[in-house]
Amino acid sequence: MVHNQKTPSQHNSTLFISPMVNNRRQDLFITPPNPASTLFDTPGSNHSLFFNLERVNGEANASTEPPQQHSRLSTVLEPLTQAEKLRLWRHDALMQHHYKTAEFIGDKVLALTDDPNDAFWLAQVYINNGSYLRAKLLLTSKPEFEKSVSCRYLASLCLVKLELWEDALDLVGESNPFRKDDNYQVRNADGGIKLEASMCYLRGLIYANQNNFEKAKECYKEAVLVDVKCFEAFNELISNNLMTPSEEWEFITTLNYRDADDNDELIKLLYTSKLSKYLNIAKFNEAETILKEEYELGENCDILLSKADYYYIQCSFDECLVVCEKILSMDQFNFDVIPNYLSCLYELGGKNKLFLKAHQLAENHANNPMTWLAIGIYYLSINKIIEARKFFSKATLLNPNFGHAWIGFAHTFAAEGEHEQAISAYAFAARLFPGTHLPNLFLGMQHLQMSNLNLAEEYLLASYQICSSDPLLLNELGVINFHKNNLMKAELFLQEALGAAKYLNSDSKTWISIHTNLGHVYRRGSQPYKALDCFNQVLKISNRNDCNILSAMGLIYLKLGNYFRAIDILHDALAISPSDPVASDLLKRTLEANTSSDLFANHSDRIFQLNLPTLQHKKPSAKKSKFLTPLTNKTKAHLSEHEHSVDDVHAAANALLKGEESSDDDDEVMDIESD
Amino acid sequence: MGETRNEKLRGDLFYASTLLSELHLFQAAKWCAEALNGLQEPDSPIDIPIDVPTQSPQELADRPRVLLAKTYMNCKEFDRAAHVLKGCQSGNALFLRLYSILILVDKKATEETDGSINIGTFNEIIEPDGETNDKEVVSGLNTRLSKILQEIDAFHTSGQENAFLSYLSGVIYNKKKKYTLAQNCLFSSLKLFPYNWSCWQELIASLNLLDDALEFMNKIKSSKSSLSGNVMFQFFEVVILQEFYQLLIPLSDSLGSLISIFPKFNFLKVQQFLIAYHNLDYFQAESIFDKILVDDPLRLDDLDTYSNMLYVMEKRSKLSFLAQFASTIDKFRPETCCIIANYHSMKCEHGKAIMYYKRALTLNKNCLSAWTLMGHEFVELKNSHAAIESYRRAVDTNPKDFRAWYGLGQAYEVLDMHLYALYYYQRATNLQPLDKRMWQAIGNCYEKIDKFEEAIKSFEKALTIDSYNNEDNDGVFSTEPHICYRLATISEKLGRTGDTYKYMKLCSDQEYEWGISDATSKARLWLARNALDNNRFEEAYELAKDLNHNNAHDIEEARSIARDARNRMSK
Repeated sequence: MVHNQKTPSQHNSTLFISPMVNNRRQDLFITPPNPASTLFDTPGSNHSLFFNLERVNGEANASTEPPQQHSRLSTVLEPLTQAEKLRLWRHDALMQHHYKTAEFIGDKVLALTDDPNDAFWLAQVYINNGSYLRAKLLLTSKPEFEKSVSCRYLASLCLVKLELWEDALDLVGESNPFRKDDNYQVRNADGGIKLEASMCYLRGLIYANQNNFEKAKECYKEAVLVDVKCFEAFNELISNNLMTPSEEWEFITTLNYRDADDNDELIKLLYTSKLSKYLNIAKFNEAETILKEEYELGENCDILLSKADYYYIQCSFDECLVVCEKILSMDQFNFDVIPNYLSCLYELGGKNKLFLKAHQLAENHANNPMTWLAIGIYYLSINKIIEARKFFSKATLLNPNFGHAWIGFAHTFAAEGEHEQAISAYAFAARLFPGTHLPNLFLGMQHLQMSNLNLAEEYLLASYQICSSDPLLLNELGVINFHKNNLMKAELFLQEALGAAKYLNSDSKTWISIHTNLGHVYRRGSQPYKALDCFNQVLKISNRNDCNILSAMGLIYLKLGNYFRAIDILHDALAISPSDPVASDLLKRTLEANTSSDLFANHSDRIFQLNLPTLQHKKPSAKKSKFLTPLTNKTKAHLSEHEHSVDDVHAAANALLKGEESSDDDDEVMDIESD
Repeated sequence: MGETRNEKLRGDLFYASTLLSELHLFQAAKWCAEALNGLQEPDSPIDIPIDVPTQSPQELADRPRVLLAKTYMNCKEFDRAAHVLKGCQSGNALFLRLYSILILVDKKATEETDGSINIGTFNEIIEPDGETNDKEVVSGLNTRLSKILQEIDAFHTSGQENAFLSYLSGVIYNKKKKYTLAQNCLFSSLKLFPYNWSCWQELIASLNLLDDALEFMNKIKSSKSSLSGNVMFQFFEVVILQEFYQLLIPLSDSLGSLISIFPKFNFLKVQQFLIAYHNLDYFQAESIFDKILVDDPLRLDDLDTYSNMLYVMEKRSKLSFLAQFASTIDKFRPETCCIIANYHSMKCEHGKAIMYYKRALTLNKNCLSAWTLMGHEFVELKNSHAAIESYRRAVDTNPKDFRAWYGLGQAYEVLDMHLYALYYYQRATNLQPLDKRMWQAIGNCYEKIDKFEEAIKSFEKALTIDSYNNEDNDGVFSTEPHICYRLATISEKLGRTGDTYKYMKLCSDQEYEWGISDATSKARLWLARNALDNNRFEEAYELAKDLNHNNAHDIEEARSIARDARNRMSK
C-alpha cells in the first residue's frame, strides 16, 4: 500500500525527495522542459572567452541523463497514494510555517511509512521549530535513517547548530567518503545542490569552528568543486579570505560550472565578480560589463557590492560611498555592504552618517555583530578609543570569527600606542584569516613602530607571500628597507608600489605616502632633484602631514646650498606646526649657514645691477623729492616714525635691556649743559 | 586705423564683460566694463560689433541647470549650486560648479576658524586657540581643493580646454604656493581668453621676484602668441613694473600709450598715482588721486593707499575728511576700515587702529596692506610677538611687501635674534635693493654676528645708493654721516686704520650738510684723538675745541684733548 520514495544518493539534492516536486511531475507533461538545454551545450558557453581552463564533461552527462528521464515519466503516470497526499499536506504546512500541523501530519506519515525521507522531513519541521536536539535524536533513532545521506546530513547540521563540533564531525566524517567514487563528474539531475557538497560544506564549517582553517579551506573548496551551486561554501571561502588572491583566481578556473546547467556562464561571471580585486582587474571589469550588458544585472545589489569593493580597494572612497548608498537605498539592511559603507564613512569623516547608521542598526538588529562594529567605528571616528574598543570586543563576542571587529579591536590598541596588545589582537586576526595579507601587514607595521626591524620584515614578507600587489604593503616594505639603509631595495619596492598604485585614486593616503617615502629614499640616496620632484608631487595633492615633507625639502635645499629657499620652506613648515623640533633645528642651522654664504651677496649684486637704471632714472628727480618731503625717501612713515633707523632699533634693543643706565646718561648731559 | 582697433577692442571688452559676469567673475567683469567705458567715446552712437561664439550642444543641454545654479549662487547657496550642476558636461558649467565649491570651501574655512585662518597655509596666529579640530576641518577642506584640481585635470586630459577652468586651477595653485604650476595654468588660460583681469592679477601675485617676472614677460614676448600684442599684456607689463618699483622710461611710455587708448580709464590713473607714490613724488600723486576722485567720487578701490600717503604727508585734516567720507559710502569695506585705522594711528590711538585693521582683515583676509600696518601698530605698542605674527601673515599673503619683511627683521632684532633678522632683511633687500635702510640694517646684523667683511660691504652699498640720491649737480659728495661712522668703526675693528680715517673724515665732513649729530661729533672726537696721537696738534685742537654735543664723558675727553694739544702746541 505504501509506496516508498526513492533513496537519494550523494549526487541528489533534497529536491529529489521533495513530495512537492514529485507531484509536479504531472505538470511536466503539459509543458515539457527543453531537453536540449540539458543535453547539449549552449553554443559559446563551453568555449567562452572567459576561462580556457574548463572541464568539458558533456559525455558524462549525456550518458547519465536518459535513464533519469525515463524514471520521471514512469512515476508521473501513477495516481497519488494516501501517503503521498499526507506528504503534500505536511509539506504545505511546513512551507506556510504551520509547524504544529506539519509536525502532527509528518509524524503520522513517518509512522505509516517508516521511510527515512519522511523522517528527514519531520526533522526539518523540528529544525524550523528550533528543536535541534529533537531533530537529531529522530534522525539517529533508526539505523536505516542513518544510512540515508539526507538524514545524515541533517543530523550533522543539527549537531553543528548545537555547537557539538566533535559529534558533528563524527557523523559527517573527517573527509569526504564519496571522493573516490566519481571524481565529481556525476551531474546532479534534479537541479538542487548536491548533498555531497552540503556535507563538505558542513565539514568545513566544523573545522573552521575548531580553528582548523587549513582543513576548513580544503573542505569548502571540495564542496564548491563537487557542486558549483554550493554558494554557501564559496561565500565562506571568499568572505573569510581563506585563500590568497592568486589562489582564488586559480580556484575559480578549476570549477565545474556544468552543474549550474545553462546558467553556467552567469554563475561564472557572478563568482568572478566576487573575487579579490587585487589581481586581474581587467577580468573583473570584463565580467562586470558582461553582467551589466547581457544579463542587465547592473542594478543588482551584489554586482554593485563588487563594484563597491573594487572602489574601496582603489581607495576611491567617494565613489565607493556613492555605490554603497545606492545599495542601501534599495536594501537598507544589506549586511554585506555595511562594512564597506562604514569604512568609507570613517575615511571620509562622515561622523554624522555613522551615528545614524549605528543607531538604525542598534534599533533593529541588536544581536548582529555588525551593529556593534558600526558603533565601534563611530566611536573610533570621534576619537573615543576606549568606548570603541568596548564595542569592537562586543562584536567579537557575538561572532568570534568576525574579522572586521578583530582588526578594529586591534586598531584601538595601535591608536593608543599599546603595541603589545595590538600585536596579540592582530595575531588573532591573522590566525582567523590565513588568506588575507592585512593582519600580517598590520603586525609588520606594529613591529616597525617598535623598531623591531627584523621581525617586522618577516611579517611583511609573509604578507608579501600572500598578496604581492597591495601598494600599502609594498610601501611598508620600502620603509623597512629604508630603515635598514638598503636604499636600492627600498627604491625597488616603492617603485613597485607605485606600479601597483597605478589604479589608485591619487588623492588617497597610500598614494601620498608612497610618493613621500620615495622622496625620502631619493633624499638619502643623494638624488636631491628626484627627491624634490616626489615631494612636490605630494604637496601638489595633499596638505596632510605637510610639516614633515616641508622639513625634508628644507633639508635638501640646505644641502644644495639654496639657503633662501630652504629657509622659506622651513618657515612654511613651522607655520603648520610651530613646535616641530626637526624643522626648528634645521631652520637654525640654515640661518647659520646663510650668514656665511655669499649667495645673497651674488644675488643682491645682480638685483642691484638690474635696478641701477631705475636709480639713475630717479636721480634727476631726487633733489626735488628731498625738497618735497621732510621725511626724505622713506616710503612709509610708519617705518621712519616707529623705528627711525637701524641704529635706533639697536639702541632701542639696548634700552630695553638696560633701561635705567641710559636715562642716567641723559641726566649727566643735562648737568653739564647747565654748567 | 586707430578707430578700427578701438572698435574691435570695444566689441571684445563688451563680450568679455558679459561673459565674465555670466560666470560670476564679478571683479574681472567690473574691470572690463570700466575699461570699456574708459575708451574714447565714438563720435556718433554706433552698434558695438560683437562676435559671440556659437554654443556647443553640451552647453545648450546644460543651459537650464546652469541657469538654476546661477540663481542659487546669487542667493549665496553655493553647496546647492554645486549639487545642481553635478553631471553637467560643458566646460563653463563645470567651471561654475568648481567655482562655487571653491567659494564654499573658503567660506567654510572662515566660519570654522573664526575668520583667523588662511586656507592652504597655517592656522591661527593672533589669537591662539590651539584646537586640533580646526586643523582637521582645514585639511578636509584642502582635500576638496585637491579634488577640484583633479577634476580640472581630468577635463583637460579629455582633450577639451576651457580658459576659466585653467584660471581656477591657477588660483588654487597660488593658494597652495605652487607658483610655477600656477603660472603655467594662468598663462594657458590667458592664451584662450586674455580679457580676464583677475587672471592677470593672479599671475602678478604668483611672480614674487623681479627676475622671475622679467623672465616670464620675456617668455610671453618670445612665445609669439597673439597675447604679447594684446592690449591686456600692456596692462600687465605696466602693473608688474609698478609693483616692482621699476620706474623706468619704458614704463611711462607704455602707460602713456595705454592712456591714449583709454583716456577715461581710472585704473590707469591709479597706476600713475602709484608710480608717483613709489617715486616719492607725493604732491603729484595727490593731485592725480584728487582727479580720480572728481571723476568717480564714490570709488573706494585703492583709497586706502591714498590714505597711507596722506598719513605719510601728515595731512591730518584731509585724512580725517577722507575717513568720514569713506565711512559714509560704506562702513564695512576693508578699504574704509584701513582708512579709519590710519586716522586713529595718526591720532596715536593705536588700540583703536588695531581694532579697525582687524575688522578690515575680517572682511577680507587677503587685504594686503592691513597686515603690515597692523604689525607697525603692534610695534608701536611694544608688542613684538604680535607684531611678528602680523608681519608674517603679511608676507604670507603678499611676499612682495618689503615693508613687512623689514618689519620682521626689526622685530627680531629687538628680540636679539640676529640670524633671523638678517634673513628677513635680506628678503627685504632683494625686493628693494635701492633702499639704503635695507643695506644699513643688513650691515648692522652682520656686525652683530661678527661678520665684519660682509658688514662693510653692506654699508658701502648703502653709501653708494646714498651718493646716487644726493649727489648734487655741482658734484659735492654728500652722504649720511651715520653710515660713514659705522663704516669707520667696523674698519677700526678690522684694524684697517686707513679706511677708518677715511670714513671718519667723511663723517665729520657731513657736519655742514647735515648739522651736528652724535655720529659727526664722535667722528670729530676720534679724528682729534688721532691727530693728537700723530702729533698734529694744530689739527687736533681745531677739531676738539668746540665739540660740545655728545655726552659728558665725550665732552670731557674733547676738552682734555684740546687742552693737551694747546699745551703741546705752545711748547
